[in-house]
Amino acid sequence: MNTIIETKKLCKTFSNGGIQQHVLKNIDLTINEGDFTVIMGASGAGKSTLLYALSGMDRPTLGSIEFAGSEITKMSTDEMAIFRRSNCGFVFQQVYLVDSMSVMDNLMAAGLLVSKDKKALRKKAGEILKSVNIEESLWNKFPTQISGGEAQRVGIARALMNDPKLIFADEPTGALNSQTGKAVLDTLTAINEKGQSIVMVTHDITSARRGNRILYVKDGEIAGECLLGKYVSKDAERHEKLSAFLVKMGW
Amino acid sequence: MEKTFLLAKSNLRKNRGTSIGLFLMMMIASALIGVSFLVFFDLYPTAGKEADRLNAGDGYISIRYDLDGFTDEKIEELFAKDTDQYYAYKNIQLGMCSLPFGNGNVAIDLTLSDRSTFTRPMNTEEIVLEDATVEAPYIYLPYQFYTGGGFKLGDTFQFDLKGVEHTYTVKGFTNVAYGGCNNTAMFSAVVDDASYAQMQGQAGSHAEGIMVIYDLKEGVKDGSFLIAAQNEILHVNPKAVTSGYALGRVLSSRSFMALIIAVSFLVLTTILSLAVGMMLANSISNYVKENMKTIGALKAIGYTGRNIRGSLIVWFFSLACIASILGVMLSYVLMPVFANIIVGQMGIPYSASINLMAILVPILFVTLFTLLVTRISSRKISKIQPILALREGIESHNFKKNRVALDKTSLGLNTSLALKTFFGNLKQNVITFLVMGFMLCACVIALLMYENFARKPKVDILTTEVCAGVLTVDKESADELLTFLQSREDVKNIRNILSLDIYYKDEQALYTYVMDDCSKMNNQNVCYSGRLPKFDNEVAISGAFAKSKGYKVGDEIPLRYGQTEYKFMISGFIQSVNNDGKEAILTMAAAEHLFDTSLPNASYWFDLVEEDEKCSVNISNTEQIFEACKGQYGAHVINTLNFYEIMEGATTTFKSISVMMLTVMCTLSVIVIALILYLLIKSLIYHKRKDYGIYKALGYTSGSLMLQTALSFMPAIIASAAVFSVVAYYGANPYMSIFMRLFGLMKCNFTVPVIGVAIIATSLCVVAFFLALWQTRRIRKIEAYNMLVAE
Repeated sequence: MNTIIETKKLCKTFSNGGIQQHVLKNIDLTINEGDFTVIMGASGAGKSTLLYALSGMDRPTLGSIEFAGSEITKMSTDEMAIFRRSNCGFVFQQVYLVDSMSVMDNLMAAGLLVSKDKKALRKKAGEILKSVNIEESLWNKFPTQISGGEAQRVGIARALMNDPKLIFADEPTGALNSQTGKAVLDTLTAINEKGQSIVMVTHDITSARRGNRILYVKDGEIAGECLLGKYVSKDAERHEKLSAFLVKMGW
Repeated sequence: MEKTFLLAKSNLRKNRGTSIGLFLMMMIASALIGVSFLVFFDLYPTAGKEADRLNAGDGYISIRYDLDGFTDEKIEELFAKDTDQYYAYKNIQLGMCSLPFGNGNVAIDLTLSDRSTFTRPMNTEEIVLEDATVEAPYIYLPYQFYTGGGFKLGDTFQFDLKGVEHTYTVKGFTNVAYGGCNNTAMFSAVVDDASYAQMQGQAGSHAEGIMVIYDLKEGVKDGSFLIAAQNEILHVNPKAVTSGYALGRVLSSRSFMALIIAVSFLVLTTILSLAVGMMLANSISNYVKENMKTIGALKAIGYTGRNIRGSLIVWFFSLACIASILGVMLSYVLMPVFANIIVGQMGIPYSASINLMAILVPILFVTLFTLLVTRISSRKISKIQPILALREGIESHNFKKNRVALDKTSLGLNTSLALKTFFGNLKQNVITFLVMGFMLCACVIALLMYENFARKPKVDILTTEVCAGVLTVDKESADELLTFLQSREDVKNIRNILSLDIYYKDEQALYTYVMDDCSKMNNQNVCYSGRLPKFDNEVAISGAFAKSKGYKVGDEIPLRYGQTEYKFMISGFIQSVNNDGKEAILTMAAAEHLFDTSLPNASYWFDLVEEDEKCSVNISNTEQIFEACKGQYGAHVINTLNFYEIMEGATTTFKSISVMMLTVMCTLSVIVIALILYLLIKSLIYHKRKDYGIYKALGYTSGSLMLQTALSFMPAIIASAAVFSVVAYYGANPYMSIFMRLFGLMKCNFTVPVIGVAIIATSLCVVAFFLALWQTRRIRKIEAYNMLVAE
């Protein structure tokens, strides 16, 4: 299995009013291709900070991150932006679609960064939208005119537009009710089954069950790791294994 | 109240950028209004105030050529009965001289006095600048030679009188009521006693003159007094030559250009203030929108709508108070720059004084306007429920149409996204469109002034008729010289034009042009209603004067010369800024009803067959014609006037004024556009910060987002430049005409250079684009991660 990301001695320190807070401490970590990696931890443990550092959205204070063979910590802000275009897809807790753009435009705005073939992009966007169960009648609607679950699936579709090496999802179901949250998780699971690598942060055990690899972050360090294997719905053994791991971690 | 101040202080601290932007705009508006009012209410009346201080009375009458019979007793007999006081003194009146002034020469009557002029009780001359080390032969020139004529202390002043060169060193510059400005038909200079005596000897007894300064008794009318006094003078000695001017006419001639500038400046500042006011209203309204969440939070913890509105009013009102006070102070700092140039034309020493109008009006305007706008913009605060405010108000998205669909448009990505931002930001773009348009109009008006007063001076509004040169020749050689001129290949359109004062009902002197054929006039624009006279019973007369006396075109008006009176029909109204707006045009045949037109010397006005672009070439070509005539007819040629040279000299001060106006307007436009873009873009970035975070997360670089944002303002800017270029091009003349009517100019066909308008419009677009790009630099600071975490 190929490694997509490898970090060495990754540190992140925030300074506020002269007080320093070490949020990530010397993290050595690898993320493998095809994995659905879930990062769990208590609030304030540093899981989101780790996710955004891995994706190049935020710069670590120390350490290195090698992403798809490139050392991203040495990149400039603009180089990093260009790197993100074709390597990273993002799904956020808040939907973060551009409200003034239609569903289709939100996807095109991402796709046009890497390709100028509008016809092909439109076809691809349509296929992706269909794959995440967004009906064609919604494509020209604006984000405020569709439901939260639909909007989140549009967010996933947008993340897939440029065939990223990795999708970063930060609490993708955090703002959704259980039914729409399940639909979103099903979508993520489905794309992972097709080979898409995903790193997801969550504090929800139901969401975490979707992953095949669980990392637990505690006080800025990787406190433990649990391998669950391929996701199977209603797998009691998987649930128990995860629960035991979390109890062990102090969840 | 304490709560209100606490909130206001917090607002000020939190919104430093907006506060500074608004503060600067309020200060600029206040400074501009302040400068306009200072020009109007402080500088413009200076001529009158100085005349009072120098005890210039109500006017003057000069007598020269033959002073026989004008004893002190006779003068007393002539002037004592109608005046409260008068003062008569002798001087040398050299008549029309060509004097060096500015870049050319000015043809003007010159009077010389000795040093007693500094101590006489009326029409005292006051030394403004002096170099005590300069030795005789020296001259004190009117202050305008320093401010607009290009002379400095110690310079050599040289002029020709009947073929003799007179050379003096400039010892000083004087403030003088009569004879202090090139628009008042006379310059009054002071020379050392030896030079004075020497000039008396050279100029002869005919140049000896008497000046009588008079202060009329209440109820005595200027016009009728002047006419009666001049008639009585001619009764005493018919050989005497007399002329007289009322103070009002002198002051009006002296300061009409200052008034034109003051009005033009006010016109421009009105446009500018409108733009600033609009931006102020928008910024306050935006602030309320941007801070809706805070307002909700404050309401939720118990602040009333009144408390919150009060804090906004205190905040903006405090800003307006401080900014307007500083603006007024700034207007006093800037005033010398404007004043120096206007003073160049007026020739009167000036320093700004404490003027209540110029202090109170800008402060009241800016503060009350701010108060009004804040009250109106903040009305919604009282009505909004806390929970709605916490949700940042009711978002009234109206996305009926997906503008510039990315999957369908053929435009590039940056352009498409810029257009999306443009359509989503229409209100701001309307403001950009209007503000940019106002500034463009202001610049075009300044360009119009530059083009018509500096680059190609539009002399036809400054004078009734224009030509290349005027040759005055005695009766004896008049016909021969005319034939000689007609035979030359470089001369065309020769017309004999006499000029003299003709009177209306013993009250008003009308400076009248008498010509053989009015259709030969170059300045046909001078007649703005009806037509120029054709027949011997017709007169064209200054419209403003005729209307003030109740006459219409077609009416008969009685005009008198000497003892002869004739009723002429008014064929048309003419416009005039000279001679206090009292001028008339008659044909030779019509003038025959009043006097024998063959008696005066002939004055041949002519044009050059080929007029060069360069004024210096025209001056030289005209001079060659004069030389040829003088060579042929010698002393029969009494006087020559090189019109190009005179206009070059006379327009020197206008040039610097219009160049300054253009520079000031372009600079102000750039400053105002920069401030407006700053506030609009700041607000836009605030509103779109989430979108920028999303774009950055998707992989958009700061550069492309900056470009998109700057480009999003360009449709409004370019459309504004295009629309307002056309509006300004076609509207500048009618707009200027509204104000020029105040000066009796009813028909102004100012040239508006298309290329100049295009250059200004393009330059403002380019500058606006780069300013917008520069203002968007704060997008660089938006970190996708911070935005996501903050949300």
